[in-house]
Amino acid sequence: MESQGPSPGGDIPLLPARMVNEFTYCPRLAYFEWVDGEFADNAETTEGRFHHRRVDQAPVRKAKQAEEEPAETTIHQRSVWLSSERLGVTAKIDLVEGEGTAVVPVDYKRGKRPHTPQGAWEPERVQLCVQGLLLREQGFTCERGVLYFIGSRERVEVPFDEELMARTYELLDGMRLMTQATVAPAPLVDSPKCPRCSLVGLCLPDEVGWLRQPHEGESPALRKLIPSNDDALPLYVQTPGAKVGKDGECLKVKDHDEVIGEARLVETSQVVLYGAVQVSTQVVQELCKRNIPLVYCSSGGWFYGMTTGLLHKHVELRRRQYAVATDRERCLQLARRFVQAKIANCRTLLRRNHRAAPDTVLQELKNDQAHAGAVESLESLLGVEGTAARRYFSEFAGMLKEAEPGARFDFEGRNRRPPRDPVNAMLSLLYSMLAREWTVTLQSVGLDPYLGFYHQPRYGRPALALDMMEEFRPLIADSAVLTAINNGEIKQSDWFERMGSVTLTPEGRRRLIETYERRMGQEITHPVFGYQISYRRVLEVQARLLGRYLLGEIPELPPFTTR
Amino acid sequence: MRRHYLVTYDICDAKRLRRVFKTMKGFGAHLQFSVFQCDLPDIDVVRMKAALTEIIDQREDQVLIIDLGPTESHPIKRIESMGIKAEWEERRARVM
Repeated sequence: MESQGPSPGGDIPLLPARMVNEFTYCPRLAYFEWVDGEFADNAETTEGRFHHRRVDQAPVRKAKQAEEEPAETTIHQRSVWLSSERLGVTAKIDLVEGEGTAVVPVDYKRGKRPHTPQGAWEPERVQLCVQGLLLREQGFTCERGVLYFIGSRERVEVPFDEELMARTYELLDGMRLMTQATVAPAPLVDSPKCPRCSLVGLCLPDEVGWLRQPHEGESPALRKLIPSNDDALPLYVQTPGAKVGKDGECLKVKDHDEVIGEARLVETSQVVLYGAVQVSTQVVQELCKRNIPLVYCSSGGWFYGMTTGLLHKHVELRRRQYAVATDRERCLQLARRFVQAKIANCRTLLRRNHRAAPDTVLQELKNDQAHAGAVESLESLLGVEGTAARRYFSEFAGMLKEAEPGARFDFEGRNRRPPRDPVNAMLSLLYSMLAREWTVTLQSVGLDPYLGFYHQPRYGRPALALDMMEEFRPLIADSAVLTAINNGEIKQSDWFERMGSVTLTPEGRRRLIETYERRMGQEITHPVFGYQISYRRVLEVQARLLGRYLLGEIPELPPFTTR
Repeated sequence: MRRHYLVTYDICDAKRLRRVFKTMKGFGAHLQFSVFQCDLPDIDVVRMKAALTEIIDQREDQVLIIDLGPTESHPIKRIESMGIKAEWEERRARVM
């Protein structure tokens, strides 16, 4: 068999038979798992691992028996690990059985036998064939393999015929060729394989496929393939002196000796600590292990930093990000897009919530949006953004309901450090929460949150997080502030003034954080893809799309704007 | 897609009982002695079953997993509580 692709050996590590299975199923999936080192679990993979626990246990060798019995005997060996430099593959075989020199590899499969002519899908047959090739390499005779389906307790024989051999060699070559590319193969088109794939949430097959085609105006009706990863929720601890400990599968928060709350680890997306909160090493290790970020903030909400597990393995993505960040033209292109979308969303918020939004302001904002799209430098873009922000905030008070008698939510424009009125104090807190949320999201998809395209990476700011958050400020933070005030969730008694600066009480802040989290959990119709999705999940999809854009998979990053 | 489950168990050995209780704390809210209310996506059901399988003795213990249907269908209406009112735990971000 003549090899067309790169030869085995060299820089390419041995291909595991399991990955050859994935490659046969979907080359893009194999690329993500094998080259990028990505992995995600779903119910199927978790169940598969559970069923494999016995098979994967190291075999217990019965030394005595082996000595007594003659050499030619039945072989029944679990978890056999074989490699071959010549073939360029490696495999852990669940079970090898046979007699003398004739052996059969047995592979355990979760689920039931599929009703196909060959009794098994191609990926499984190819994986088994790789195992067979490895056994032959060891000098055994191996003419067939067996797939054991745990779900229906059935054995399916797979003969290693010429056709399967040829197909296996062809796939091995194809896979070696793929590993040399810097970008993953294109997603499958409208494939029935996607809905049950555990990596669908980071692959975004239909979304990427749709954005790659040229299209005009028509709205897509995409399948909602994204698994509900937004199920997990953050845990905030803001009681000074509280201690966070681990108790079994839960996090336990204690204030002195009183338990003030528990959170289940499987349902926790991140742990955010405000001020002097203690946390045990066991908690830090467990969070790292589960890839749950631990975030530290000052008691006032200033983002200090975070502890995460190991750095994301997707090096190529960061390399592309750095390359784009040094390209002035592409930075400008992205920055224009961020600012335009932000102005559009500010305008929408005004139009919807203002008692009587002046037409002149709405028109001016529309002009600003057009200007932002035409500027030739980042400096002039900053100017346009500043002007638009002033116009927007000058009308912000018009969106606030008449407060309870005696309350003072007066707002005369945006001010910071320190905020001089409650509205500004709330905006500042929520902006910092949103920046933190973006920092966590970007890092979790493998991007560097500190290197941006619009904001410059100075003063330790998470510049990319600030870039990405621009269009979401009005949608999430401003909107949550309006809800908190207009629904009476935050009252006069929830803040106090000290030396000209305004601070929320701990109780007020707790309620504001809850309002913000409710907003993040709210489901909206995705403006580009047309399906229902929560804001929490929108952030992740947007971050992944940025990754796809940086890798050159889609021509443009779609802005997130609402109507 | 989350579904509501009621998980009840009968464990014969005190040590296993404690381990089951501790494990179940990670998957649901403790409703009564040996009864948990869980609100789980399919992946966590698998995780829960896997964890319990490792602990229980298949010959002596029993765990019942009762599926109460999708989360959207408000299963609390199908549970009548006498005496102390049963509160179904609401999923939201926790601020402590």
